[in-house]
Amino acid sequence: MALPNQQTVEYPSFKLVLVGDGGTGKTTFVKRHLTGEFEKKYEPTIGVEVHPLDFHTNCGRIRFYCWDTAGQEKFGGLRDGYYIHGQCAIIMFDVTARLTYKNVPTWHRDLCRVCENIPVVLCGNKVDVKNRQVKAKMVTFHRKKNLQYYEISAKSNYNFEKPFLYLARKLAGDPNLHFVESPALAPPEVQIDLAQQQLHEQELAAAAAQPLPDDDDESLD
Amino acid sequence: MASNDPEHREEEAGDTAAGEDEDTGAQIAPIVRLEEVTVTTGEEDEDVILDLKAKLYRFDKEGNQWKERGTGSVKILKHKEKGKVRLVMRQVKTLKICANHSILPSIKLQEHAGNEKSCVWHATDFSDGELKDETFCIRFGSIENCKLFMETVEKQAEALGKTEEKESVEADAAAGELEKLSVGGESKSEEKPADEKPADEKPVVVDEKEKEKETETKVE
Repeated sequence: MALPNQQTVEYPSFKLVLVGDGGTGKTTFVKRHLTGEFEKKYEPTIGVEVHPLDFHTNCGRIRFYCWDTAGQEKFGGLRDGYYIHGQCAIIMFDVTARLTYKNVPTWHRDLCRVCENIPVVLCGNKVDVKNRQVKAKMVTFHRKKNLQYYEISAKSNYNFEKPFLYLARKLAGDPNLHFVESPALAPPEVQIDLAQQQLHEQELAAAAAQPLPDDDDESLD
Repeated sequence: MASNDPEHREEEAGDTAAGEDEDTGAQIAPIVRLEEVTVTTGEEDEDVILDLKAKLYRFDKEGNQWKERGTGSVKILKHKEKGKVRLVMRQVKTLKICANHSILPSIKLQEHAGNEKSCVWHATDFSDGELKDETFCIRFGSIENCKLFMETVEKQAEALGKTEEKESVEADAAAGELEKLSVGGESKSEEKPADEKPADEKPVVVDEKEKEKETETKVE
């Protein structure tokens, strides 16, 4: 379900509603998928931001229009318009903040009032944090309401593809659907003149002096 | 494709074994019907020169900071016929492209200050289908892998530089050679009429692909 000002695509696209309390990591999760970056700074989303997210599958390319909504009530409690024509949803909570899990039923109720019978994934985010308040065993809501549950970490990328994979499989009714390599087209020829080259080298030297955002050595072997 | 697929499946299987992929979702009628398609990686005509796990960053000039781009395998690929060399990196699990750029003779790599496992360079990147100037930093699991990466890229860039030089020197000579060849080809086709198409056709083209194309059009 595309917005009027969004370019439509000739491959299947779905409106995905992303809800949950403020600060649970909805925007960070979407950004992670969009650009690869991990945003540490918290800037509350105002209203809604819609981002197209494409995936290549063995059944062709698909797109999720992610409706990244404001979790904080004061930044525009969710109007029905955000939910309407939603074809799938992710409800996010923060495993380090008990209240965000307590509020999951409210988000679920609001969602279901508008969107009946759509696939929904419940995500417990920030599982990389050592002192969890909501342990895996305490998460039971998804069983009562027949939702899928994933523990994820937008920081470490743990299970970060699972919610989309699950939703894609349900929407297509194909449990064997999987992600495949997107085609890497041959880059066109570029001409770089000497002046540009020198500028790039200066920039490079400056950039090389800046530290990397994370120097934790996760397994790269 | 073939090289990445087993890895992909393995991870999937591993997770299922851990009992994490238990489907607790309700039965919901699908809303689209998708047919299996032929998957093309775009890398079919290339040889893999190097394939290493790494983490890639891009430099955000405005914020004067490095930002993560993706974690996955970085590959140096060489085209089997054209000889062109490029760097392609894909995000693990989603297999999306996080870097895709030509390796040019002018490429300059340098160590990243403060980390011997990482290095930086500048490139015109084509990841999302449009050319963008990017400054990249890549971090490996070991100093050895970083060295290997730098050496491989530099070696390829140097070789490309030599080929380019040679090509420009030989350009004039080649033009002359081509003329001679086409004349030679024509006489050859006269000698062996059975192998070739009717004698009224143009001089035999040296390039095999061109030849194929020509035959195809004639058949149709």
